[in-house]
Amino acid sequence: METVSTQDVTVNDLPWKIEYKPERCTMCGNCVAACTFRAIEPVVERRSVTFSTGKQPDPVSKHSAVLVIKQKNSLAQACTGCGMCEKTCPNQAIKPVRNQDSRFNVLARKGGSPIKRGGRTNLDRGRTLDNIIVGRISQMTDPALDSERHTFDILAPFGRVLSPKDIPLSINNNEMNLTGKLPPVNWIYPVIFSDMSIGALSTRAWEAVSLATAYLNEKYNMPVRMSSGEGGMPVKLLESEQLKYMILQIASGHFGWNRIVKAIPKMKVDPAGILIKIGQGAKPGDGGLLPAAKVASHVQAIRGVPKADLMSPPNHQGLYSIEESVQKMFLSMNAAFKFRVPVAIKCAASATSVSVYNNLLRDPYRICGGFFLDGIQGGTGAANEISLDHTGHPIVSKTRECYLSAVKQGRQGQIPLWSGGGIGLTGNAAADAFKMICLGANGVFIGKLLIQLMGCVGNENDRCNRCSTGKCPAGICTQDPRLVERLDIDKAAQNIVEYMLALDSELKKLMAPIGNSSVPVGRSDALVTTDRAIAEKLAIQYVC
Amino acid sequence: MFKITSLDGNQRMSTQDLLEAINEAITTGETEFEIEASGQHDIGGPLWHPEGKTLKISVKNPGQRVGSMCLEGTEIVVEGSASADVGWLNAGGKIVVRGDAGDTAAHCAAAGTIYIGGRAGTRSGSMMKHDPLDTAPEFWILKNCGSFSFEFMSGGIAVVCGYDSEQFESILGDRSCVGMVGGTLYFRGNASGISQKDVKILALEAEDIAYLDGNMNDFLTSIARPEIRAELSNWTEWHKVVPLTYDERPKMANATIQGFRTEKWIPGGIFSDVCKDNFGVIGLVTTDLYRQRVPVWENGLYAAPCEFNCPASIPSQLRFNLLREGKIDEAYKMVLDYTPFPGSVCGAVCPNICMDECTRKKVDISVQIGKLGTHSVEVTVPKAENKTGKKVAIIGGGAAGLTAAWQLTRLGHEVTVFEADERMGGKMEQVIPRSRLPQKTLSTELKRIEDMGVVFKTNTNVDKQKFVEIRDQHDAVLVATGGHIGRVFPWPGNERLIKGIDFLKAVNKGKNPSVGKRVIVIGCGNSGMDAAVGAYQMGAEEVTCIDVQRPAADAIEIEHVEELGGKILWPVFTQEITEQGIITKTGELIPADTVIINVGDMPDLDFLPEGIALERGHLKPSANYQIADGVYTAGDTVKPGRLVDAIGAAGEAALAVDTYLTGNVHESVVKTKIDPKRLSTAYFEKCHSCDVPQANEDHLRCISCGTCRDCHMCEKACPENAITRTKNPDGTFEYSSDPKKCIGCGICAGMCPCGIWLMHDNKEPINI
Repeated sequence: METVSTQDVTVNDLPWKIEYKPERCTMCGNCVAACTFRAIEPVVERRSVTFSTGKQPDPVSKHSAVLVIKQKNSLAQACTGCGMCEKTCPNQAIKPVRNQDSRFNVLARKGGSPIKRGGRTNLDRGRTLDNIIVGRISQMTDPALDSERHTFDILAPFGRVLSPKDIPLSINNNEMNLTGKLPPVNWIYPVIFSDMSIGALSTRAWEAVSLATAYLNEKYNMPVRMSSGEGGMPVKLLESEQLKYMILQIASGHFGWNRIVKAIPKMKVDPAGILIKIGQGAKPGDGGLLPAAKVASHVQAIRGVPKADLMSPPNHQGLYSIEESVQKMFLSMNAAFKFRVPVAIKCAASATSVSVYNNLLRDPYRICGGFFLDGIQGGTGAANEISLDHTGHPIVSKTRECYLSAVKQGRQGQIPLWSGGGIGLTGNAAADAFKMICLGANGVFIGKLLIQLMGCVGNENDRCNRCSTGKCPAGICTQDPRLVERLDIDKAAQNIVEYMLALDSELKKLMAPIGNSSVPVGRSDALVTTDRAIAEKLAIQYVC
Repeated sequence: MFKITSLDGNQRMSTQDLLEAINEAITTGETEFEIEASGQHDIGGPLWHPEGKTLKISVKNPGQRVGSMCLEGTEIVVEGSASADVGWLNAGGKIVVRGDAGDTAAHCAAAGTIYIGGRAGTRSGSMMKHDPLDTAPEFWILKNCGSFSFEFMSGGIAVVCGYDSEQFESILGDRSCVGMVGGTLYFRGNASGISQKDVKILALEAEDIAYLDGNMNDFLTSIARPEIRAELSNWTEWHKVVPLTYDERPKMANATIQGFRTEKWIPGGIFSDVCKDNFGVIGLVTTDLYRQRVPVWENGLYAAPCEFNCPASIPSQLRFNLLREGKIDEAYKMVLDYTPFPGSVCGAVCPNICMDECTRKKVDISVQIGKLGTHSVEVTVPKAENKTGKKVAIIGGGAAGLTAAWQLTRLGHEVTVFEADERMGGKMEQVIPRSRLPQKTLSTELKRIEDMGVVFKTNTNVDKQKFVEIRDQHDAVLVATGGHIGRVFPWPGNERLIKGIDFLKAVNKGKNPSVGKRVIVIGCGNSGMDAAVGAYQMGAEEVTCIDVQRPAADAIEIEHVEELGGKILWPVFTQEITEQGIITKTGELIPADTVIINVGDMPDLDFLPEGIALERGHLKPSANYQIADGVYTAGDTVKPGRLVDAIGAAGEAALAVDTYLTGNVHESVVKTKIDPKRLSTAYFEKCHSCDVPQANEDHLRCISCGTCRDCHMCEKACPENAITRTKNPDGTFEYSSDPKKCIGCGICAGMCPCGIWLMHDNKEPINI
């Protein structure tokens, strides 16, 4: 007899339960070999039965021992629902099933440690964007465009755009001449592949995103740009022509910037932009986190760090105010690239975002080339779950407020607004992007969606999201070469490319009906909602 | 002939009036019409003669949609140009425009013929169709047409002759044929911007030429330009546009990342300076280097619970394995490597802590390790072949001394044991009740020691002088005199106490020490229980055992006392011993005629020379049991313990003495206990206690924790047939897993009853 006490953890305490059908199992071993979390194991089970087949009670006992696949009753090795077992099973004998009565969140703070994971918030607060529809269709009033045939200019600015009266022009002998300097502006696709660092992603996953970026530019003329994330840049990419597709990010840890600085003299082209990361929507107020399990030798080399939990401070160490950041970070970044490369800033959306945006708009040096706002539904490779689920700010109204604040001052479009955090959460990034743009964003950025396209099975219903463990079963958020080898870099890039081609068509399918052949920034008249509160907050038409 | 002029001075007929006038004329049987229009819409259709005669309509200056929804049997000729939508939804009429046509000519035409004698506007020919009930619609243009021509065309034949159009970059305008899925377009001259994703441009074949050649005259005659026939008949200037078939259309983006990566991308990949990668891809299940985990056959690496818990580290799982293999003699002899007293201690006196954590207890009850010892009482082992010539003296013939003597003799030394008593055996002989240890077992095992060559010197009291003498005459000395001075506390009246050890010695010597009817035993350890049993044997009627704490005696000993009628009381604190009995600290009197105290025995170490380290009356040897140069100790001289503790310590001390004498180093392997989670007990059927076999057949129940039982389960269960069993020349065997086949599933580990296979993370470095 083996004793089990009420406080022992059993599989019915875990978030996922393995549904196993021994009668279908051939004991091929695939599921256990494939499981990266060691959540299942082969064990021998006792089958001792007493039965009677005679005409009166005539006990016969039969004992047998059979090999089965069993879930481990361990919090540390809890099944994540990734479903690799199901994927490899030739016989549909095994699969994870979500456990509604999971006690995991109550029990998992073992050793006094907060729960850490990756992914997005698991608390479904509903999505404002799904309550908004494109409800103003050009029909009799003005011609709709033909999305298949018409030419569309799907471009957004990255860089400081001057108001016409500020452009230094003079007229001499009927000729107009530029008498001063203009800040650099790059017109790029309004969907940026957002910052997932080298380290958070495997080398292959990161390279697949950069490959897809280059491919979309070179084969399909889609000027998509990719942000490096805060883990530095591969030197080979810095020294290549493809650097022009890259936005280099600098966060409080300044990881990898030694190699970037050293590469500047060897750069054949300028990068597309610089993005100063102040905060992140998934875990605002908290710095970047790369667990030691993922600090592989190449990450150590690029970042210049030993194997350890790498935490970026929540603040840039030298910055104490908006003015300070304008003065120091923007100037340094502009100066480093000889004032040819636009510099933008990324903040977690916050109750204070409008003030920050106003402040940047009023900056007399006109040096800020973009305001990136990241909302609560953004993803991350590693965070404390409390930050993921309980801190942050919805992105939709915040973007709208910033835009309208700029409109009030007649400064809309001068500092491009880029919004992210949950774009593409339900799978359709084109719809999300279009709506955000109509509300005032110049463009959007996507991250989690990209890794989902590459094969990540994580979602907002607590599936997998174990990006922080280094055990990513898809080879995307890990540095274990045995797992990275699972990722087909070409297929990963291909999936992104195909999604973006579809997204481009889908964007046109929304732009055409409202009659816009260029990105409809601020065309909130195109949107309606059946929710009065949303209508009121966003100043769009209420319909029912 | 019905003639009508739609203008009368400043008065223009409405479209409705004009069309109704035409309709009226048809109902009266009119078939020919000459219409001077002024921009009226929809002239020419849909019309039909009541008797089915052909309607011929000549129009000047029509408005939009001339010939709209035109039916078969209607022939329209527009003198000069027409506005937009000529032949809109043409359903069979022949419509000729001698001049230019406006935008969207032939839009949605699905039957009939439309001829344009000049240019046509944008979106001409768009959405033409071909109803299989009709012949294909035809749409000819003499010159050129505007942009977006033939978009979404799905059937029919269109011909653009490109006459007088050399000045245009594209005679089809820009973005022609977007969305075209059916029909055929012929054109002569230059065209660009044709939708490559929808159509392909081909050279003419014979049947194409036959069509154009055969219809050209009708077209030119109809538009009254027969003179240019030759100019348009150089077929090499013509092209044919047909839509891609459904199968030819790419259903997906034709992205070829791999080619791009290998040809256009940074050679070797962007991380090739810091992280080599050949971009090979593995599946979720893989063998060899890329397996996540590798099985390791850890046979004998971990101790079974019995082996781990036994102070003498007797690996009983090995004894059962030998029995299972039928090597019965070997199995019985093996224990003698660890103890000379398998019968007297394991099989009789020992509490058998080896059995406390026996894995078998998870199934039913522990395997019978203690009883197995009794099967080794009679066996003998050969004497040491090589003599060292070294002489060792052992002072004290108890469990520790005799164990050391046994081991040292087997190592080839010449050993003499000096014993103060008249008989060898120490407490086994003098103190332990005969009921617990049959004298025959002890004497047999003592004889085996003597037969091995150990010299017994009984009745030899060792004092300081004798010790010096012994030390001089021997190469090494081991002090194993145990503890024989019963401890007494300074309670008032303690002179009334009888020391347990003295009492038990007297019992065993047959002196029948007298006790009263009521006896109290202070101290409830095992020897306290022995004293209680002894008191009953000597005639006591009521024995009460008291202790200040939970009794330390083994349950079986307490049970025995209780069966005899004894009482166990705790916690009881003694204040005083009186004639009436014991007065406790709470002032109670526990009546007694005799009080025996059994709270531990101290060693008598007066014979040792000065300068030997002591701690609380016991010897304090160094880690290798040494107390002075060449002088060692083990057993109760160091710390009071069970017999098996003395046996374990003496075995180790003997090895230390051997190292001292010969320089041979004996590495002590300290095994950790096997993780019980590694063991599979599910194989074993639960035995009813009545089915429990004899101890020497308990190999049927022993799990063989941590030691391979050679059952072949792993070999048979491995899904990849990766496991093989090989036999070594020395008769041992091993199992191994072939990395080329193994997928690292861990079925071997899950299958193994003994916990031998363990899945380790695959740490093999990957070097690309």
